[in-house]
Amino acid sequence: MGEVMTAQGRALPAEDTADLREIGFRSLDFSELALRVEDELGDELNFDAPGLRRIATVGDVLDFIEQLQSA
Amino acid sequence: MAGRRRTTALIGDDNTVVVAGKRLTWRTLRKLPQLPSPAAVLVDNGADALAALRHHAVHGTELLVATESRVDERMREELGESGFAIVLPDGAVTLPRLKRVEESGRAWLLTSGSTGRPKRIGHTLESLTTVTADQPPRTWLLPYSPGTYAWWQVVTLSLTQADQGLVVIEPHELEDWPKIATEHGVTAASGTPTFWRQAIYRDADALAGVPLEQITLGGEPVDQAILDQLREIFPTTRISWIYASSEVGASIVVHDGKAGFPRTWLDRDPHPERPVLSVDGDELVIRSPHHGAGQIGAVHTGDRIEYDGDRVLITGRLDTDEINVGGSKVSAGVVRNVLMGHPGVSWARVFARKAPLVGRMVAAEVVPNRSLGPITDADLVQWCSTRLPDYGVPRRIKFLDQIPQKETLKSDV
Repeated sequence: MGEVMTAQGRALPAEDTADLREIGFRSLDFSELALRVEDELGDELNFDAPGLRRIATVGDVLDFIEQLQSA
Repeated sequence: MAGRRRTTALIGDDNTVVVAGKRLTWRTLRKLPQLPSPAAVLVDNGADALAALRHHAVHGTELLVATESRVDERMREELGESGFAIVLPDGAVTLPRLKRVEESGRAWLLTSGSTGRPKRIGHTLESLTTVTADQPPRTWLLPYSPGTYAWWQVVTLSLTQADQGLVVIEPHELEDWPKIATEHGVTAASGTPTFWRQAIYRDADALAGVPLEQITLGGEPVDQAILDQLREIFPTTRISWIYASSEVGASIVVHDGKAGFPRTWLDRDPHPERPVLSVDGDELVIRSPHHGAGQIGAVHTGDRIEYDGDRVLITGRLDTDEINVGGSKVSAGVVRNVLMGHPGVSWARVFARKAPLVGRMVAAEVVPNRSLGPITDADLVQWCSTRLPDYGVPRRIKFLDQIPQKETLKSDV
């Protein structure tokens, strides 16, 4: 997540509770992060698996990615 | 004014044909045994393909010629069931399962099959001979795979016009073609943008040594970057790009060194020698005098266009060019053109990747220009960010070691 933010010229806040809208982490950034994880693992992820739920904070993103990896 | 002929007489029968380093002529090519008709002649070298074509031209037989590797077992069975004898490179003949009367003078082409299995398009030597104005004496490079539309274009030009020599390039010679072309005095060459890009990438100095008077690009979307790179290497050479396909023939020819064609060419008054170009939605539609059998009238090409000022750009196939990123649509061809405009990029492919939240994201594969030092994905993201909307910027970029190329000289961009 830090790499995605850095590529956009921004820094990742330390707190998991940081609001994504406030730090400017948008849908495209989130999607990029998922693709980075996919590339790291060298395997296609099932993006539908974690289900639809609200992703509002840094912590939500990290939870989602963790779910993706274990799906 | 140049004379215009409507003949497919073998005026070029004494033109030079260089195959495997040997200087022959059409007339002195290896004679094939009398071929059955209809026949699908599967070849493993360019000389036999030319010999099959000449046999067809002399005897008026029904012919499909293709490389052996392009026609799999299933297609051979289909051809046999459609009345074709299959002639293999060693001369072995499999008789057709269906006996039928030949269509005299019919030449069959296999489409590239980018959207599925190849299909047959019927032509004649006359419908394939689209260059009818007298040409200055030239020696043409022939890098195309036998039987493709582009191959027919070059070989019919050589067979039906005086002083149009050929230098055949076999697949294993593709990496060194500039050396072979220089050795045999090639003055004209036609290839896909991928073919030209590879030549620049491998050895631009060797390419610059070929005494080219005519450069032609076709078979894939032609971007401004490749036209500019060729212009820099060949400042005085005529550089043209052609839109052609088995279905509609050679339909657009542009010589002004710019990508796309003038918007004023759309919906012009019909002319017996000139195709009528139009747009339906964002699809290019062509009504062509050079069409294949059964392709009469307006043909929806499946190619997507975008307007850029007074030009019409052909960006790619309709079914793959448009990428929908969370409801915002972007053309893969346009993104590719932006990437190719970066001086550090030799080749790029842009495609959609499945992604959460937005459905699809733009991704790319890139071959960097080794002579200009290293570039990073961050450099390219930055480059694209100032030229494309957010959703069009490829966020994932993979670097490749070499430019991929298929037998058709295309790279599925």
